[in-house]
Amino acid sequence: MTVDVGAEGIDTAALVAEIRAEVSRKRREGVYTDARIARAERHNLMYMADSEELLRFYLNCLRDSVNVDINDFEIEDRRPGFKGKALVKIKAVIWKFLKFYTFRLWHQQNQINALMVTAVESSFQQYEKKIATLEARIAALEGRSQGGDPKGDDSQTDKKESAA
Amino acid sequence: MKLAFVTPRYSPGGVVGGAETLIRKLAVHAAAAGHEVHLLTTCALDHFSWANARPAGEEKAEGMTVHFFPVNEDRDVNTFLRVQGKIDKNQKVSREEQEQWAASSVCSRDLVNWLRREGQGFDAIMVGPYLFGITVQVARILPERVWLIPCLHDESFARLDIIADMFRSVRGHLFNAPPERALAHRLYGLPADSGHVVGMGMEPFEADPEAFAKRHGINRPYLLYCGRREAGKNTPMLLDYVDAYRKRRQSDIPLVLTGSGEYTPPETLRHDILDFGFVSETEKREAMAGAVAFIHPSTNESFGIVLLEAWLAGTPALVHAKSDVLRWQCENANAGLWFAYYPEFEAMLDVLINQPDLRKRLGENGRRHVQSTFTWEAVGQRLFSALATTQASSPPAPETQPPLSP
Repeated sequence: MTVDVGAEGIDTAALVAEIRAEVSRKRREGVYTDARIARAERHNLMYMADSEELLRFYLNCLRDSVNVDINDFEIEDRRPGFKGKALVKIKAVIWKFLKFYTFRLWHQQNQINALMVTAVESSFQQYEKKIATLEARIAALEGRSQGGDPKGDDSQTDKKESAA
Repeated sequence: MKLAFVTPRYSPGGVVGGAETLIRKLAVHAAAAGHEVHLLTTCALDHFSWANARPAGEEKAEGMTVHFFPVNEDRDVNTFLRVQGKIDKNQKVSREEQEQWAASSVCSRDLVNWLRREGQGFDAIMVGPYLFGITVQVARILPERVWLIPCLHDESFARLDIIADMFRSVRGHLFNAPPERALAHRLYGLPADSGHVVGMGMEPFEADPEAFAKRHGINRPYLLYCGRREAGKNTPMLLDYVDAYRKRRQSDIPLVLTGSGEYTPPETLRHDILDFGFVSETEKREAMAGAVAFIHPSTNESFGIVLLEAWLAGTPALVHAKSDVLRWQCENANAGLWFAYYPEFEAMLDVLINQPDLRKRLGENGRRHVQSTFTWEAVGQRLFSALATTQASSPPAPETQPPLSP
């Protein structure tokens, strides 16, 4: 290879490995089980799909973020003085009307989201179980096949002997 | 040597793509090294309309002869867009449709005819990037003289039969990075020893790390992304990640953007995105020099020129681990970290923000790496050493494949 001049001093591969080990430890402790992370990962999901570990993590985060937030929140306005205060009051009134008219929608959406995430989780768990069972069977068959080779050879020998 | 470089657009002071800039710079430095260089390009400047914006003809520029040829004005844009849409969606596209797509892509009949007449007089013809009709066309005229500068990406276009044929037929390939070369080998089953990694040279520069922040009144550390803002570059993910980081770490760190493209930021990040749009090279370099980290979230790059610039400015990079090329660049230079998902992004950003000494050393590594590996002298040596070799496989006879357009 012509372009392989590694710089000296820091080994970034080792540094990344160290950080990843720390992240894995913290993830097991639940540090990253956070609805905000699930939302942030929406564009990264396609890259996580080929890693079972990352997918499981995402599903955990998704469980936390499944509900649409229907709680009240602090209404602010960046404009100073009377204008800003008046706008906050107006926005608060608008919000009350909006909440009244959309609460039913939110509620139904949350029910759908909860059902969807449960379905996805269940599918994931079922496939995990099926794959584990199949892997165990394959391992057993491979073991039997390796252990059974001499038997196969013996049977061949037997045939040759009987043919003789 | 008498060399030809073919690229869709040429505009030294204007805005063209990274691959076109790479090819122009290779041509300019080949001319500066004493070779007779002819750069063949189209009269177009706009990469949406491909309208002929300047008259055809030739002129002396940057030490070489630049030949401008008109883009075929009778190209079938509707067919092009129809087939392109199918390819983009990974739908099955017949060879006939692929030929239609290439023929109605950016092509120049005059350029092709000129090369038919004059091509035998060149020792080598360098052409790229790979997914333009003009590249496919030139590769079919004189495959035994053509060196492809593909700037290859792992995308649906790279899997077309006509693209595979082109890769297998030309005399050689000039790649920007080993992962790009590995991708080409994986996709097209090229002979093991084929393909040369040449890369792009960078002119060293000095940039004041405080100038940008002072000029724009930024009084806190900032993160930086330069380039196109679009889904293909993963910028929506970057915005979400920075937003989540600020919320979880209770940080007010802003994200500085330069470049073009529309985006919709999360509401809570809107006021802390400092978008400067197109900026001068000096401004960009100063922005890089002052940043905590240059973040490159794209997963589909053939080479991160912008990473080299950030390193020359002494700033470490944070890239997506799914980009083989960017990750390789960071690992090779020991000048950047790579994340696969948000928790890693958060942990790595913590490290870069909270450990200024480590950040400085990573930046210094990057600068040293670019200055030793990506000087024009080093790139020139790799280019001419590649051109001096012969391809292991025998290329087919010229024009054994049908021309793309009459």
